[in-house]
Amino acid sequence: MPDFDPVAYAVPGFVLLVLAEMLWARRKRPHAYEPRDTLTSLAFGLGSTVAGVVFGGAILAAALWLYDYRLFDFGESWWAVWWAWPLAFVLDDLLYYVFHRMAHRVRWFWASHVNHHSSQHYNLSTALRQTWTGFFALSFAFGLPLVLLGFHPAMLAIVSGFNLIYQFWIHTEAIGRMPRWFEAVMNTPSHHRVHHATNPRYLDRNYAGVFIVWDRIFGTFEQERPEEETIRYGIVKQLGSFNLLWAVFHEWVGIAQDVWRAPWKHKLSYLLREPGWSHDGSRETSATIRARWEARRESATGKPVADENPIAGSGEPA
Amino acid sequence: MEIPPALLQFVGSLAAIVALAALAWWLKLGAPRRIESEADARREASEAADGYEPVEIALDRAGRAALLRDRAGQILLLRQHGTHFAGRVLTPAARARIDSGALLVDTAEKRYGQVRLELEDPSAWLAHIESIETR
Repeated sequence: MPDFDPVAYAVPGFVLLVLAEMLWARRKRPHAYEPRDTLTSLAFGLGSTVAGVVFGGAILAAALWLYDYRLFDFGESWWAVWWAWPLAFVLDDLLYYVFHRMAHRVRWFWASHVNHHSSQHYNLSTALRQTWTGFFALSFAFGLPLVLLGFHPAMLAIVSGFNLIYQFWIHTEAIGRMPRWFEAVMNTPSHHRVHHATNPRYLDRNYAGVFIVWDRIFGTFEQERPEEETIRYGIVKQLGSFNLLWAVFHEWVGIAQDVWRAPWKHKLSYLLREPGWSHDGSRETSATIRARWEARRESATGKPVADENPIAGSGEPA
Repeated sequence: MEIPPALLQFVGSLAAIVALAALAWWLKLGAPRRIESEADARREASEAADGYEPVEIALDRAGRAALLRDRAGQILLLRQHGTHFAGRVLTPAARARIDSGALLVDTAEKRYGQVRLELEDPSAWLAHIESIETR
């Protein structure tokens, strides 16, 4: 079994690129970085590697156990089946899309993923703002179907490592748009800025990891429109704190408080419904925020938002 | 004594993190922004609470915070958070008092903290906030 962690090799590159972006920020956009925010983001990254060491063994053991029940067998030299690698990469990215969409739509998963969105800045250090509590949110479960299909856990660990590395460089405002063909297929800084935005039109859009085609196929794509409005980043209710531990655990604390206070028949909903849901309707979800924005916009322009955005008027909000 | 490689890696990463944050500070990145006008306050308010339209605005003299009130009587508190602002629509749990001429507002949210505002008319805003309690 190959023992190779691509992320470990990429870390020096991450550091150099953060340095380069800081120098760019000094000349072009000094507000793109804030030292305390940077410290929090990087501490998130370090903590997530510790969490990976602590829980990684258990996840690997479970995956290896499951691998014994695989549907297809690439043989003992599975690592030498060249076409399995790109196939695993693409399928892993598809499952990343599924995981990521669920992470925004189910509060239990969101409690972990919100960590990545909790900065009001959008720079390369934000990319390293990774969760510490993914194990409890059962994030690893989304990769298990591929193990059952016959992909070796080590192969999946390697391709998801490359997926993570790809997603690093798209966390920047230093790059406007990439060439049109690239924007059409790949996730880019422009597409991912939309994902991190709190503007109502951008909420719960662009879940892609590497290939933006998943959002185009499943109706969750939104184009960045810098000429119409400035993007603002973070979460709907900004933390207003640089406290690392609060940033890590605030949503879990919120869930515990809500479940404790809620009537019995609603307790489970505070775990499984979308972020912002409340049994008395006193809070706002991304769907209610978007609906209010659409109504406001329609009354101002006289035409429905769906005329401008083919997905805005259809189906369940992502 | 042999230091475990994982511990060495952790300490090295921690040092790199502190160095990068120190560099951001040394490069003078992220100077705090101020709310200098009502237009600034309106913009920040619409970012903090989508669709919020104030009819009354009070700016902190140093530009670190602002209080806004909309037609429905909802009061929005904005306060500096690094280069950005974080806002809260005040609930009946919010408390306020005047201290040496400044208005102290406590949202009752521990991590958001207490905000001190130097305003033109702190007593009027104290009354507005207290009226949330009785509404």
